Amino acid sequence: MPQLNPEFFVSQLFWLFVFFSFLLVFLWRISLPRIATVLEKRQKNIDENLSSAKELKEQALEIEKNINLQLSKAKEEASQEVKKTVLELQEEVSFKLKTLDKDLEAKILKSEKEILKNKDDQMKNINNEIKNITKATIEKISDLKLPDNVINETIKSYKGNSS
Amino acid sequence: MAAKDSPLKQFEIDPISNIELGGYNISFTNSSFAMLITVLVITLFLTLTVNTRSIVPTRMQLISELMYNFIAQLLSDTVGDNGKKYFPFVFSLFMFVLIGNMVGMIPYQFTFTSHIIVTFALATIVFIGVTILGFMNHGLKFFSFFIIPGVPFYMHPLLIPIEVISYLSRPISLSVRLFANMLAGHTLLKVFASFVVSMSFFGIFPLAFIVALTGLEILIAFLQAYVFAILTCLYINDAYHLH
Repeated sequence: MPQLNPEFFVSQLFWLFVFFSFLLVFLWRISLPRIATVLEKRQKNIDENLSSAKELKEQALEIEKNINLQLSKAKEEASQEVKKTVLELQEEVSFKLKTLDKDLEAKILKSEKEILKNKDDQMKNINNEIKNITKATIEKISDLKLPDNVINETIKSYKGNSS
Repeated sequence: MAAKDSPLKQFEIDPISNIELGGYNISFTNSSFAMLITVLVITLFLTLTVNTRSIVPTRMQLISELMYNFIAQLLSDTVGDNGKKYFPFVFSLFMFVLIGNMVGMIPYQFTFTSHIIVTFALATIVFIGVTILGFMNHGLKFFSFFIIPGVPFYMHPLLIPIEVISYLSRPISLSVRLFANMLAGHTLLKVFASFVVSMSFFGIFPLAFIVALTGLEILIAFLQAYVFAILTCLYINDAYHLH
């Protein structure tokens, strides 16, 4: 078995020591720090990205909150504006209705007065006619010539009776 | 079977250049050459793939990072925060054994992990290091490691020697496990390879078996490196937490 031949034991141990020491020192001082740097850099990058994403998310939430606040504010303002306008319009309408009522009342009063006046005039005319007819009728029937005032009195008294 | 065709011939050491230092033969051999290739592969791979240091890794960089994270995870799982200091050592050990095993899987390439002297030296480094660590952390209280808590005192004369023996046999079990796995695997491959030639046409069956066995051997190459690394981690953990 060549493994148990001590001829090259020293040589093997020597070169093992040389190469393994070299490997250990090289990896320890050069290779492993490099890999560790890369891994740390990557982890740092990931952490940074995560934290910036978190920050951005918070900002987005803040913005959303603001938008909602402004939206509700605007809604409230709009509804108040609508209410105000409705009230104003109602006031205007009632004012216009009032003035219209006044005008109508005045017009009605005027019309009533005119009607009364017309009625009086007509009544006068009617009385006159009645007097004339009565006078003419009496003259035809009895040749009596009654003065106007007597006839008028009679008619008036009659009217008084009839009423 | 002629010595030329022995399945153990692949483990023979051939000096490439004869060097002598202080009366000792430290020839650069095929074993040393395999170690050189292993170290070159590891250092070049881990350096060149991470050269760009890009945040979004290339495929090769990803392999280096995976290896790094694999051992870092292993160490933090077994030892915890104390283990960070030993990361370069455990990582080097793992990579050295892993790539050493893998280089051995290349046909006609020497497998230095199939030599007990090499694996025993590596295991001894771990053993001595861990023992020193245990004394540094606990002083003489380290000897309480051999006293199992909760055992009746009259059992101690029996159990303490067993514990001591089991502790002392750690480097042996650690090194023999790796050495024997590599030895057996490569010997088996070689035996079946000789069948391919001797069975002429029917040699296709052992050939198919070799293909399957090579896959298994690559798995074992990884597994043994992993076992070596995880046991080192466990021993380091023992040096911190005695029980």
